[in-house]
Amino acid sequence: MREKNFVESFTKHRLGMIGLAGIVIVIALGAFGPLIVTYPVGYNEATPLAAPDREHWLGTDGLGLGLIAEIVWGARTSLFISFTAVAVATCIGVPLGLVSGYFKGRIGGLIDSVIEIAMTIPALPLMILISAISGPSMGTVAVVIGLFSWPTLSRIVRNSTLKLASMPFIEAAIVLGIPTRTIMFKHILLNAAGPALVDLTIIMATAVLTEAGLSYLGLGDPNAWSWGGILQNAFRAGQHFHAWWLIVFPSLAIMFFVVSFNLLGLGINETLNPKRD
Amino acid sequence: MFQYIVMRVMKGGLTFLAAVSITFLIVRLMPGDPTTAFISDSMTPQDVQALNTSLGLDKPLPEQYALFLRNLAHFELGQSFFYKQPVGDIIAPRLGWTLLLIGTSLLITLLIGIPLGVHSARHKGKGVDQAVSTMIVLGISIFIPLLAFVLVYVFSLELGLTPVGGAFAPDVEDSELISDVARHMILPTVTLVVVNLAQIVLYTRSSMLDVLKEDYIRTARAKGVDDRGVIWGHALRNAMIPTVTVTGLMLGKMVAGAVLTETVFSWPGVGSMIYEAVQKQDFPLLQGAFIVLAFSVILMTLVTDLVVAWLDPRIKLHAESTR
Repeated sequence: MREKNFVESFTKHRLGMIGLAGIVIVIALGAFGPLIVTYPVGYNEATPLAAPDREHWLGTDGLGLGLIAEIVWGARTSLFISFTAVAVATCIGVPLGLVSGYFKGRIGGLIDSVIEIAMTIPALPLMILISAISGPSMGTVAVVIGLFSWPTLSRIVRNSTLKLASMPFIEAAIVLGIPTRTIMFKHILLNAAGPALVDLTIIMATAVLTEAGLSYLGLGDPNAWSWGGILQNAFRAGQHFHAWWLIVFPSLAIMFFVVSFNLLGLGINETLNPKRD
Repeated sequence: MFQYIVMRVMKGGLTFLAAVSITFLIVRLMPGDPTTAFISDSMTPQDVQALNTSLGLDKPLPEQYALFLRNLAHFELGQSFFYKQPVGDIIAPRLGWTLLLIGTSLLITLLIGIPLGVHSARHKGKGVDQAVSTMIVLGISIFIPLLAFVLVYVFSLELGLTPVGGAFAPDVEDSELISDVARHMILPTVTLVVVNLAQIVLYTRSSMLDVLKEDYIRTARAKGVDDRGVIWGHALRNAMIPTVTVTGLMLGKMVAGAVLTETVFSWPGVGSMIYEAVQKQDFPLLQGAFIVLAFSVILMTLVTDLVVAWLDPRIKLHAESTR
């Protein structure tokens, strides 16, 4: 019943629905685009660094490869990275948050300190170090981003759990002898899902931005097209000021995806906590 | 208060220890030979031998760890592959440029963001609410290299108002150095301010709205304090607590933003050095950069926490009562 109400009110949130539509578009692009557009590889017949025209809608890069194909194939990389990162972050963040909120005492305090330490350490320079040493690969980048995305999620799940654990229905469940694991992963987690969901959309958005940033710095997978990687190619070849389309179009793709996730998060948040004025 | 400071400094020390321990473990637990991260092809066998001894790579892990911490305590961060100089000597002059950029951007962000947040809290309503949430979504979605490129393209290349990159012109006179650096700083600073402004506005606004509902604000109004006096005299101090807290949490993100920004503008800080080190596969330099940046962020977080404690007397009272 509550789920139905949520879906119903969410569909009335215009910005949230726009965000959802944007994500669906990128997923469709990543899923079906490569069936239509061939993988850009090697040199091409086309003029290198051709400005957008009727033949090449988004222009070509320094090798004469069409930018459309690169962006379509890059969508797969962004999708893979964001979903993998969010899965990794969920697997670490949710259990840690639940345990630290439910067992308030020493264990909870210890985990909370770990969360706080993880939040303070600047993530990007460390991710750069790890990706550089382990060598650029899409899998490594995805996991590394996930490994640095869980602290906020943990904190949010912990705060919800702290509140929920002292509520009568949980106390009733304890008295009824329901196993602790069931209470934590069913009763509490279901009720803490809302705020966690909002954070998951933010984690996905941040993962896309981080992947783009790492690829832009030259730490992306050289064997896979990615939106940040197109920028890096242009930047390294010193083409970025002559061929504006090599910078603008991939960046717009990145921001389209990121804005979509953030609008989805905004929609979920405002549906869960309607403003009462 | 003293007790709180001691506690907080210890926590900062622990965080730093965690950060450096992670780098220690990463380098040694990576698949393959741990020495690859420290040994480049251009080294002679004697160099490699000397390096092995200085890092203790032939000893068991706990001993290596002790040696690693001792080197760190003496500010020995290893030898750069490319520059063939101690890592510390390369980073030190660059750190100042990065801190200058981050510090200036942070200051300007707060100087614009706090009044803007207060203003939007006073004029709340559907239109303003919508504008603020849209601004937040756009602010956290900006891809820094794009913003930086657009700024350079428009203001430097098309309009010729600002320098394209760097921190100062190579032939600048000493007397004009400060104004020249300031001119070079405009675009990188604008980039970082735009990216971080939304968060500061959001937190100032929402905490201001909360504070304005408090009883003591009603009391002040009942005593005849005018609107301006209530906001700036009574409410702002408490409303600032979440803003300062979030500033502390933003520092890590600001460093990440600075790395990307410096790269586009060739700003001679640690960020553009990281980019060069990535291209040159200079692992010791990357490790040193992380350690130095982690230390700076932890130190600045400590400062913001102390400011929060000063703004919020409950924190230090709590620390004393749990003695």
